[in-house]
Amino acid sequence: MSGPLPISATQLALAAALVGINGLLSLWLGLGLGKKLVIASLRAVVQLTILGLILVPVFAANHPGVVAVLVVFMLAIAGREAVGRTKRTTKTLPLAATAALLIGCGTTALLGSAAVIQVEPFWTPQYFIPLFGMLLGNSLTGLALGFDSALASLDEGRARIETLLGLGATWWEASRPVVADAVRTAMIPILNSMSAVGLVTIPGMMTGQILGGTEPGLASRYQILILFLIAASVALGAIVGTVIAVRALFDGQHRLRVERIIRRS
Amino acid sequence: MLHATSITHTFSGRTLFSGLDLEVRTGEVVAIRGPSGCGKSVLLRLLAGLDPLQSGTLTLDGKPFDHWGGPAWRAEVVWVPQGATVFEGVPEDLLARVGQLAQQQERPTRNPIALAEQMRLDPGVWTRPWAVLSGGERQRITLAIALSRSPRVLLLDEPTAALDEESTQAVEAVLAGQTAVWVTHDSAQCDRVANQVVRLG
Repeated sequence: MSGPLPISATQLALAAALVGINGLLSLWLGLGLGKKLVIASLRAVVQLTILGLILVPVFAANHPGVVAVLVVFMLAIAGREAVGRTKRTTKTLPLAATAALLIGCGTTALLGSAAVIQVEPFWTPQYFIPLFGMLLGNSLTGLALGFDSALASLDEGRARIETLLGLGATWWEASRPVVADAVRTAMIPILNSMSAVGLVTIPGMMTGQILGGTEPGLASRYQILILFLIAASVALGAIVGTVIAVRALFDGQHRLRVERIIRRS
Repeated sequence: MLHATSITHTFSGRTLFSGLDLEVRTGEVVAIRGPSGCGKSVLLRLLAGLDPLQSGTLTLDGKPFDHWGGPAWRAEVVWVPQGATVFEGVPEDLLARVGQLAQQQERPTRNPIALAEQMRLDPGVWTRPWAVLSGGERQRITLAIALSRSPRVLLLDEPTAALDEESTQAVEAVLAGQTAVWVTHDSAQCDRVANQVVRLG
């Protein structure tokens, strides 16, 4: 096994030309995606370049404080992203998302690093940061789906919820199926990718490791581990997030306050 | 038994009622009348504690709403919504869920299937999906479930609006003697069932 072949700026420009094919297709079919494509590509280039630049000193510092700062920063961004594209939102939804990601991804990353991979110390940036990022990325997708499902159930199913409340149900008794549905929805992407993985796709992380020179057997073991950690963090995050979000739509006397739901077009 | 004192409610700049007093005595029916959009349904929601009071007080047996707490209050003062809500699955599922509510554990119960039969519903409706039941069937099923939990006060929002004459009579007969606040558009029905009439609007 050899190390990764170096990639120059010229080679990246060549890859960018491939995105140009997308642009031409969009023009030809009138998809109107041209502008979005340019912005998304530029964001990817800028964000990943900065990430590469940041990770060098973070790995070099090898200090828990530096890791903690980066983790908080990643959490704050992920919390915003998770609620950025949902069809409905609430004032407290970003907070619910951040808390859910902290608990879901934080717990799983800690367990994964300390107990499963047994990194010493557990916060070693080379392991903890990519692991945490991987969990965040998947959890925020799941969380967004879960929020959409929960808020739609409460908004559109108001009559059902209130009939139960009208018979003496507590907020939790009335909305437990709503939470269950939301968690099920949040889990769909990770369940799909766990079933299709290896048959249909070679996952991005494993591809990266193999291209980076890791032996495929070890790369696949890492991938399996990551999938399990992702599944755990998505489930935990979705439960915590939807319970907080749903609770926030009821007041102290267990009234459903649909006016707290903000619909986005 | 149930007292509402000086209830005022404003909705998007319009005062629906102001300083409204209401007293519901045991065994009596208070009918709520008034033109469409005058706030009859809103008043029922307020009495059920499903919307917060803007001003005024609610008491049951002299004890204020906040002391009861929402779920305990609503187990005593049961709200049956207007129209016919479609639930998931079949009516039996809803019946089972209501029976499992913490607030419903210690209550005396009546047989909902027998109650529904008295309202001219055959027992087969309990295992048919909500989606294939008619509006009138759904409404009577919901009413039978509410009645089966022996509520102190029933809040009824046009419970016979979707029913023919015979079914309406059957529902009125089943409800005889039940303490209720009853929203109705039908003045003949009002004359038959009401001990007290409150006019809004």
